[in-house]
Amino acid sequence: MMDADTSRVDPVFFNFALNYLQRYFPVTPQQAEIMIGLSEMRYFDKKSILLNEGEVEGFLNMVVSGLVRKFVRKGKREVTLQLATEGHIIHSEISFLKQIPSPVILETLEPSTLICLSYNNYQKALKELPGADKMGRLLLTAMFVKKDERHYRQLSQTTRERFLDYMKNHPHMLQRVPQKYLASYLNIKPETFSRLKHLVKLK
Amino acid sequence: MKEGFLEYLGRFDELTNEEKELVSGLLEIRTYDKRARLTNDGEVEQYLSIVVKGLTRKFFIKDKEEVIKHIAKEGDIVSSYVSYFSRTPSNCIIEAIEPTTVVSISRDNLEKLFESGERWERIGRKMMAEFLIEKEYWLLDAIRYTPRERFLRFLKEEPDLLRRVPQKYLASYLDIKPETFSRLKQLLMKKEGPVVPS
Repeated sequence: MMDADTSRVDPVFFNFALNYLQRYFPVTPQQAEIMIGLSEMRYFDKKSILLNEGEVEGFLNMVVSGLVRKFVRKGKREVTLQLATEGHIIHSEISFLKQIPSPVILETLEPSTLICLSYNNYQKALKELPGADKMGRLLLTAMFVKKDERHYRQLSQTTRERFLDYMKNHPHMLQRVPQKYLASYLNIKPETFSRLKHLVKLK
Repeated sequence: MKEGFLEYLGRFDELTNEEKELVSGLLEIRTYDKRARLTNDGEVEQYLSIVVKGLTRKFFIKDKEEVIKHIAKEGDIVSSYVSYFSRTPSNCIIEAIEPTTVVSISRDNLEKLFESGERWERIGRKMMAEFLIEKEYWLLDAIRYTPRERFLRFLKEEPDLLRRVPQKYLASYLDIKPETFSRLKQLLMKKEGPVVPS
């Protein structure tokens, strides 16, 4: 179906991304053929900045391997907004969609491989890829729903509930992510987070 | 009445008369008394609505206290979004603060509309992009701004809601302690200090 010689993207990586995307919308072989041509790979070392505050977001990224953190600065503090692992989509939504300076920063916490759609190719897809608007609509709806769910959890759950809920659904993150980032992401004070850690069995 | 919804969609692309007629046929007008519920928790949200007249609040109950998640006035969209889009039971209650009229589209009709052609898919994509952007701004602003800044920004953007909405609702919505909210409001009334948003 896909010819590796004509594409910069390894079909294995592309199929990995496709599997995740098909949770949101079906993709025909013809659409996949066009999509692989519009995608590109990006590789980053640990602690690389993908996007700085004030820069315009040029990409929609999906993590193939590694871990990317999205955060916002508040004075001297950093507030973590998202921790993206394999199969997760991460970018500065506001900056990408509006092409304005980003209010958030993206940084890798592990060496990371990303499969990416540049803004130019996103525009191209909207013109040349049949069904692109529908894909975009369904993906944006899913992203919106996730954000709204997280907002609700932040407001409705107690600190303890948030901690336990997250650790249940993301059991490996405690090993992969520095504690201060997890605490910030869950909006839990570092001291409280340390105390709560005893509630989960460490493997 | 249905104009409100047509104007909203028209922001994403200009609609022809035929298209306006198509949309109008999919819309429903619903009216509520003060304190009546548009959406109950535990029920699947059936509608995405625009407030034509009145005021609604979206809230849930945490430790016997109401936490206000959204306040919608004329021209604003109101829905229990996650429930509406993923057809799961709603976590929130939506209630009319004033006698309220909304113009609504059901989940099935919205899907039917978007799937009726590429142009509608495009409008749908732009609409969902705006939903996502607004949500992200709300989440960022809650982090970036102090309670005082949130209060002043809100006043600048929604000056008349300070009169229309009970103070405890506004305080909860802006995540400001009721005491702090009272103090900020008094400061504003006395015009002491730099309370006018720049």
